[in-house]
Amino acid sequence: MKVTYNWLKEFVEIKITPKALAEKLTMAGLEVTSLEEKEQDVIFEVEVTSNRPDCLSVLGIAREVAAITGKKLKLPEVSGRRVRRSPGHQAIAIKIEDKKDCPLYTAKVIRNVKVGPSPDWLKKRLELVGCRSVNNVVDITNYVLFEWGEPLHAFDLDRLNQEAIIVRRAKNGERLTTIDAEERLLNRDILVIADREKAVAIAGIIGGKDTEVTTGTKNILLEAAIFNPIIVRRGKQAQGLQSESAYRFERGVDLEMVEKASWAAVGLIEKVAGGRCVLARTSGTPRTTKKGIALEVSTVHKILGIDIPPIKIRKILTNLGFKVKAGAKNKFRVGVPSSRPDVNLGIDLIEEIARIFGYECIPKSLPAVKPQVTVSQTKDLVPQIKNMLVGLGLNEVITYSLIDKELLKGFWVGEGSDLIEILNPLSKEQEILRPLLMPSLVNCTAYNLRQKQTYINIFEIAKTYFKSGGKIQEQYSLGVALCGMKSLWFGQGHLQDEAGFLHLKGILETIFKRLGLAISDYKFIGKENGNEFEVNVRNDNTGTLRRVDKGVLERLDIKNKEVFALEIGLERLLSRLPIEKKFVPLARYPGITRDTTLELKEDITLEQIMETIAQRGEKLLEEAKLIAYFKGEQVPDGFRRITISFRYCSAERTLTEAEINPIHTNVVKALEERFQAKIR
Amino acid sequence: MDIDSLKTQIDSEIQGVDSPEKLEEFRVKFLGRKGILAQLTSSIPSLPAEERSAFGQQVNALKNRTLSLVAEKQKSLASQPARLTAGIVDISMPGIAQDLGRLHPLTQVTEEICTIFQGMGFSVVEGPEIETEYNNFTGLNIPSEHPSRDVFDTFYLKYKDRLLLRSHTSPVQIRVMKSRKPPLAVIVPGRVYRPDAVDASHSFMFHQIEGFMVDEEIKFSDLKGALEAFVKAVFGQEIKMRFRPHFFPFTEPSAEVDISCIICKGRGCSVCARKGWLEILGSGMIHPNVFKHVGYDPKKYTGFAFGMGIERIAMLKYGINDIRLFFENDLRFLKQF
Repeated sequence: MKVTYNWLKEFVEIKITPKALAEKLTMAGLEVTSLEEKEQDVIFEVEVTSNRPDCLSVLGIAREVAAITGKKLKLPEVSGRRVRRSPGHQAIAIKIEDKKDCPLYTAKVIRNVKVGPSPDWLKKRLELVGCRSVNNVVDITNYVLFEWGEPLHAFDLDRLNQEAIIVRRAKNGERLTTIDAEERLLNRDILVIADREKAVAIAGIIGGKDTEVTTGTKNILLEAAIFNPIIVRRGKQAQGLQSESAYRFERGVDLEMVEKASWAAVGLIEKVAGGRCVLARTSGTPRTTKKGIALEVSTVHKILGIDIPPIKIRKILTNLGFKVKAGAKNKFRVGVPSSRPDVNLGIDLIEEIARIFGYECIPKSLPAVKPQVTVSQTKDLVPQIKNMLVGLGLNEVITYSLIDKELLKGFWVGEGSDLIEILNPLSKEQEILRPLLMPSLVNCTAYNLRQKQTYINIFEIAKTYFKSGGKIQEQYSLGVALCGMKSLWFGQGHLQDEAGFLHLKGILETIFKRLGLAISDYKFIGKENGNEFEVNVRNDNTGTLRRVDKGVLERLDIKNKEVFALEIGLERLLSRLPIEKKFVPLARYPGITRDTTLELKEDITLEQIMETIAQRGEKLLEEAKLIAYFKGEQVPDGFRRITISFRYCSAERTLTEAEINPIHTNVVKALEERFQAKIR
Repeated sequence: MDIDSLKTQIDSEIQGVDSPEKLEEFRVKFLGRKGILAQLTSSIPSLPAEERSAFGQQVNALKNRTLSLVAEKQKSLASQPARLTAGIVDISMPGIAQDLGRLHPLTQVTEEICTIFQGMGFSVVEGPEIETEYNNFTGLNIPSEHPSRDVFDTFYLKYKDRLLLRSHTSPVQIRVMKSRKPPLAVIVPGRVYRPDAVDASHSFMFHQIEGFMVDEEIKFSDLKGALEAFVKAVFGQEIKMRFRPHFFPFTEPSAEVDISCIICKGRGCSVCARKGWLEILGSGMIHPNVFKHVGYDPKKYTGFAFGMGIERIAMLKYGINDIRLFFENDLRFLKQF
């Protein structure tokens, strides 16, 4: 909202520079976002918050300036409220269909005006505040709007059926061509001004083309009214309109200023365009119920944290236009002017006091925070898990929660009805809330490949959203995507390590171990196509390992690369964890290690081998692990050589070779027999 | 073997001993059971009788001499650091280690902010992203048909009950206050959504941190103090800040906190729209109507609340000029933090 330095000066004495004034206004709650020198004046661009409709006018801001600087406000004089009735002219009836839509409507008839270009001073001022000049009458209605904050509208009287002015809801299907030459289709949700025959304006928003004041107009009807903010807002939204009038009605126009502003306009019109006011009609009550708020000085101190003297409190409120009556000791009864619909409670008054007193004058104190007992939740593990992943070399990404449904192709096999759709997306990319992280991660991988990255290792921990049994669910998931070749430097050369399923497995194993799960607590179950593994933790299908489908790679334009991804339902996982760590006594007696190399067929899985070992190893076998792997020239096709290290240990005694030998031989024999393994 | 030339040989060979292993080799060679000196000693009986005594003395003398040479060498070797690898290392070669990954810069800033407030005694809480209209608006004193709603334009779900994606983290205030009794000091980070066209400074999805404190004697001055401590912790002790009156439906009095523009140092530039100040936080005393909605007695309890956009803080802190970079997740961008 724009006002000018000189215009303000007409209503309040200003001795400080525009810059200093701007600073003061800003620090009192009316942020001045720019100052522009123009035509020997200075334009202030003021950001008025939606709770201060009273500041949407020069007078409103002048009042603020007066309160802030301690000067007196000079209210404009409105003289000559004279109606010179002429014989032979009928009265115009005002009919308001519903008082809730329009609590007050005033109409004044001015005859014999000369509509023409506005005088320079008027054109200039309007231009400075960003308003285009039309003609003298229309310009005056705009001038009064900016000066008083009261929207006015002038109709060409002779183009109206003059029996009555009716404020009513539009009929469904009713049409009106507005001043902007748009033919509009109206309905019952829209409030219009009408005569006996048709609608002539959308109330509070925009006038009709037919009745607009032009150079040919001789007689005008000047409307000054109050329209219900909600109906104006709805009409504005439905028609996609905005106007200075609508902006003010939406926020609340001061009912008690309507008549004054209207007469001010009449006076200006008579002066600038000639003519005489011959009729003035009012329908509705130009008075509001008085608001009184009780305010205790002690409350002001308690809330703000500083003792402001009661005299000062009284002065601040009075300068702002409040009527302060001293009650019992240090208690005030404050009357609120009709221009302040935002002040209803004691706390609203306290804000007024604080902002004029100056926020910068209020001291700082450190709050005394009382310690609280918080129960540790499984979600608290998320930062730890993130750090584990970072330690494993992965980079965290944050991708959008809203996605295009198409992105799910090749990943989601659930029901379409389980997806949560957005009612008002701005684009197709915001169609649904994602039930999976994987598609976004693979998309992100594709993006980075386009930027010529050769190795991508990313993760995200974020919410996934879906319907389950008709109910909306929001759950944390962990997603990882790996792609490409990592070059590992080991001091004497580089090893090329290509991302694959075992890398995904390694990440999970590391995390599971750190979270307290034993190897026996989880397993990876292959699906038929060999491209997917279920991650099963303590008999719960917690997640998936996946080699991304060729169709998806093509769709995302990923060429000559494989992408591997995993997704784990974190909340499911965390709910199955042992939280408590328990100490396991250290081995007191040294054990014996045996390394045995076996050559066997490739299709015999390590799982099968370990199963057999576990069966035959007896209690003394503490651990068996793979320590070497070999496939090469010396190994026949279809076979592989693995070295397993067996560790035997007892908590009660030092084991001897004699004790271990038969057990180990037994184990090895079982492997030979069951799998035709050859010992190397 | 001539004693003198042996002596010379021993003297020269001891020079070349530069490791405990080589010293042992040397000792075994000359002083061992089958060593050269031992052989000499056992050759004495084969000498003519008159030469035996003199020769025996010479051999003994050499043996003692050699023993002390060995002892000396052992001492000097012990005071040298052991060489672990054979050969000389080119230390300018790349080190061998697993590269660490990175947390996303938004996560890093969020953690920094949470840590600051946790240090003041606040607890971190989270809330759902899918919210009810009540928690997102009504409970926060935001009326349904008022221009103040426009700033909080929202995404609605195709679902019953007018569920929506929260447009700010403030709904969690309602949830926490309804489920707990004061005193409270809570900080809430999380994703929020607004249907804004995406450009260099706007994203339809972004992150906020909300904080609030409720007790019997919380004052406006406490809010000022807490926020100043926070701003200084994030932007440094030298930062200039101001507390400016503003309006939010859920706080009264309300304030916005500005910091002096770090790009132009307050002179005015395009980043701060020529104002010289950058707005980073909204705050205020919790409105009594909000307390009424959650069942707290506004006569007994007061509190303050504040909220900030994490992307904004991160962009100011790191000098990032385009919000879209956070969600593009270009590895070259992520690895800078």
